[in-house]
Amino acid sequence: MTDQNQASIARELIAFRIGDQEFCVDIMAVREIRGWTPATPLPRAPTFMKGVINLRGAVLPIVDLGARFGLKTSEPSARHVIMVANIAGRLVGLLVDAVSDIIQLTDESVQPTPDVASEEVRTFVKGIFAIEGRMVSLIDLDHILPEVEAEAA
Amino acid sequence: MSGDVDPFEAVKLVFFQECDELLADLEGGLLALEQGTGDHETVNAVFRAVHSVKGGAGAFGLDALVRFAHVFETLLDEIRAGRKPCDDVTVRTLLRASDVLADHIAAARGQADPVEEARSAALVAELEALTYGAAAPVSAEAPGEVEDAFVPLPIAAAPLEAEADEWGFRPVAFNLASLDLPAEAPPVGESAGWRIRVRPHGRMYASANETGLLLRELSRLGDTVVSLDAENLPTLDALDPEEGYLAWTVEMGAEVSEADIRDVFDFVEADCDLTIETAGVEAPNVVEEPAEAAVPDIDIAALLARATEAAPVAAPEPVPAPVVAAVDAAAAAAVPADAQPGASVPANVPTATVMTAAAPTAAAAPATIRVDLDRVDRLINAVGELVIQQAMLAQKVGESGLTRHSGVLSGLEDLELLTREIQDSVMAIRAQPVKSVFQRMTRLVREVSDMTGKRVRLVTSGEDTEVDKTVVERLAEPITHMLRNAIDHGLESPEARLAAGKPAEGTVRLAALHRSGRIVIEIGDDGAGINRERVRAKAVDRGLIAADAVLSDEEVDNLIFAPGFSTAEAISDISGRGVGMDVVKRSIQSLGGRISITSTPGAGSTFTLSLPLTLAVLDGMVVTAAEQTLVAPLSTIVESLTPRAGDVNYIGGHDPVIRFREAFVPLIDVAYSMGFRPTPMAPETGVAVVVETESGAAAALLFDAIQGQRQVVIKSLETNYQQVDGIAAATILGDGRVALILDVDAIVAVARRRPTRIEALRSDLKLAS
Repeated sequence: MTDQNQASIARELIAFRIGDQEFCVDIMAVREIRGWTPATPLPRAPTFMKGVINLRGAVLPIVDLGARFGLKTSEPSARHVIMVANIAGRLVGLLVDAVSDIIQLTDESVQPTPDVASEEVRTFVKGIFAIEGRMVSLIDLDHILPEVEAEAA
Repeated sequence: MSGDVDPFEAVKLVFFQECDELLADLEGGLLALEQGTGDHETVNAVFRAVHSVKGGAGAFGLDALVRFAHVFETLLDEIRAGRKPCDDVTVRTLLRASDVLADHIAAARGQADPVEEARSAALVAELEALTYGAAAPVSAEAPGEVEDAFVPLPIAAAPLEAEADEWGFRPVAFNLASLDLPAEAPPVGESAGWRIRVRPHGRMYASANETGLLLRELSRLGDTVVSLDAENLPTLDALDPEEGYLAWTVEMGAEVSEADIRDVFDFVEADCDLTIETAGVEAPNVVEEPAEAAVPDIDIAALLARATEAAPVAAPEPVPAPVVAAVDAAAAAAVPADAQPGASVPANVPTATVMTAAAPTAAAAPATIRVDLDRVDRLINAVGELVIQQAMLAQKVGESGLTRHSGVLSGLEDLELLTREIQDSVMAIRAQPVKSVFQRMTRLVREVSDMTGKRVRLVTSGEDTEVDKTVVERLAEPITHMLRNAIDHGLESPEARLAAGKPAEGTVRLAALHRSGRIVIEIGDDGAGINRERVRAKAVDRGLIAADAVLSDEEVDNLIFAPGFSTAEAISDISGRGVGMDVVKRSIQSLGGRISITSTPGAGSTFTLSLPLTLAVLDGMVVTAAEQTLVAPLSTIVESLTPRAGDVNYIGGHDPVIRFREAFVPLIDVAYSMGFRPTPMAPETGVAVVVETESGAAAALLFDAIQGQRQVVIKSLETNYQQVDGIAAATILGDGRVALILDVDAIVAVARRRPTRIEALRSDLKLAS
């Protein structure tokens, strides 16, 4: 599912806010959106791993996207939102401030990430585009989870 | 996944599933014969297994498989009939034949390459040599009978042999009409029994089935009275050699169940007209009929004699047993008829005596059903949720402040018991005996002993020990590995054994037993035992231990579990490819199991695996550490204690140890070591739980409080995330939150900082990677 974005002409994206920045991901990757529930922390996990929660009997890891992008660490409250996304067959909860919009977009309107961005940012940001004068970053979810140690399953 | 499975493929899949079971039966039976615990019924069971494989394979056109199965079956049939001995040599050949049969099946299934022709042919030759003795080649000369040169025809060697089925039915060339046959073969006196009419079609014979065998199967269920109906047999000029014209009527006693009778015709029902009815309805007639039929003008024996004279090929009903039965019946028919006329009781008086000589029915298999594993898993998941929900409810009620003696609480207790019972029952559905794994090992042992030139006897026990299916499936690999090791590294060569005063044949034991809620698998050999000096030298060589390290015997033995350790001097084909016992240990650990070794120089080594009975639930101790709720597996816990200030000492000023039963064990602040709290807590404010690791070392884990003991449903962290050091899995607690299940061994290993320790070394490697 990594390359389908390039192939399709017009697609739907789901936009969300972290702090005062706006991002979006392919809507097909998002399974559901739910409110914040307290997570169980994992030992020795990176700071952006908020822990795990119970999603109808399954154990769902929660990634604080803001911390993952190096923006800010959220102190989650009831107002925060978890987007449950399917990333390469795994279900992952993405902690964001709010879900703002559903955007329709053609590939031509996406501009590659400018060179000013650091390598780290470019790992996650596939491109940027403008909508109603705001800048929105298109996120690639594939590298959101910490690198899994050599288990190719 | 796809919903559109080709129905033919689906049926084929079922066939292969059955093949697995049949192969297991086959091997089990042969092993029983090998150990001398088998009887006639075992031989029958073995024969049936091969026959069923052949029948099914014929239906799917798996020619190579059919050909091999046929030769195999022929020998078994000889043994079954008592014409060939079932001695050691034969059984060993049969065992190897079962291996090749398994390979043929795997090949037909597309799981393996086709069986090498030479290997298959060699075994075919061996089987035939045993079947026909020295006369074997003669059979191949049977005129006009050999359809496939691959399989010599047994018919010529034994004209009355029942094995003509491979070549289709060849009708007898004589005219029965001239014999003035009665229009209907006489049903011979049995009243409240079964009357089975079977009229095979030509295609039944074409698919390698034969009436003679069916009749013989029936005669095994109970006494049969067989009569032949040749009414439809055309004259010679109108006769189609490929068609079936004959029909049989079989009378059987009522003590045989209809299901058993139907089983006999299982494979052929579609290819013949089969009616099975109770003869009792016609009972009054039966009494009359024998009188008429008692003196039929046919003398079957004479008929047969003429038939065999007339044609070189046996008639399709040449099986000795039923024919004799029929002849006897014909002769005896007169007797009841004579004896009976005055008897007003219409039925079963004279013949009943015959019928009650009931042949033992095939060892009654327990009634079973086949259920899709998905359905069982769904049920298990639902029960898992039920357990969580029940715990949640109990917690809520507990918090609501109801009095201890209220009806709600006692109702809840009942619910808890019920829930546990349901859970146990559901788990029992998935429980399987370890037999399936053990049986596979006999083949492995044969092969490895062939390769190494060592003589090995495998002694298994506790095959019926049951364990969850998921565990059974994952047992095969470590057991395979350890058995190979036991033979390749453990056992000495026959010469060395004799020199050491041991029998040339080495013994490898494979045992399974239940012990305190876990399954224990022991793999022992009577070989040389672990050569501790060599292990030690090698460990030093590989930098696993310091040259001057002081290690106990047990610690030296455990070095073989260190990564990349292989003690074989020559790296052989069989084991020692650089992956060693560390792989076994890791795979056992991933199952929540432990492995240990005991070794006595000169007397052998024993590996002991201890595994949970299921991977779905766990008995745990729920604890609190720095506001986090954690679960410690109950199986690791020795006892809990409240540390007093004087009990805790600090080695070198910071590593705490606690006095436990006259010894000092390390005290690990779990919350601190996991990073849940920035500084260690004061030991005397918490509770210490003494745990034992798989290597037998003890440690004390320090928590804030113990909440209680609870059965929890295991949820994998790896499904959506990844493995976490120190955490075995997760579970969902009564309040709906996720709690982590501790991997006690990993926690203890991480906390240890002694570099000579293998565990510490391994965890260091892990952290570095």
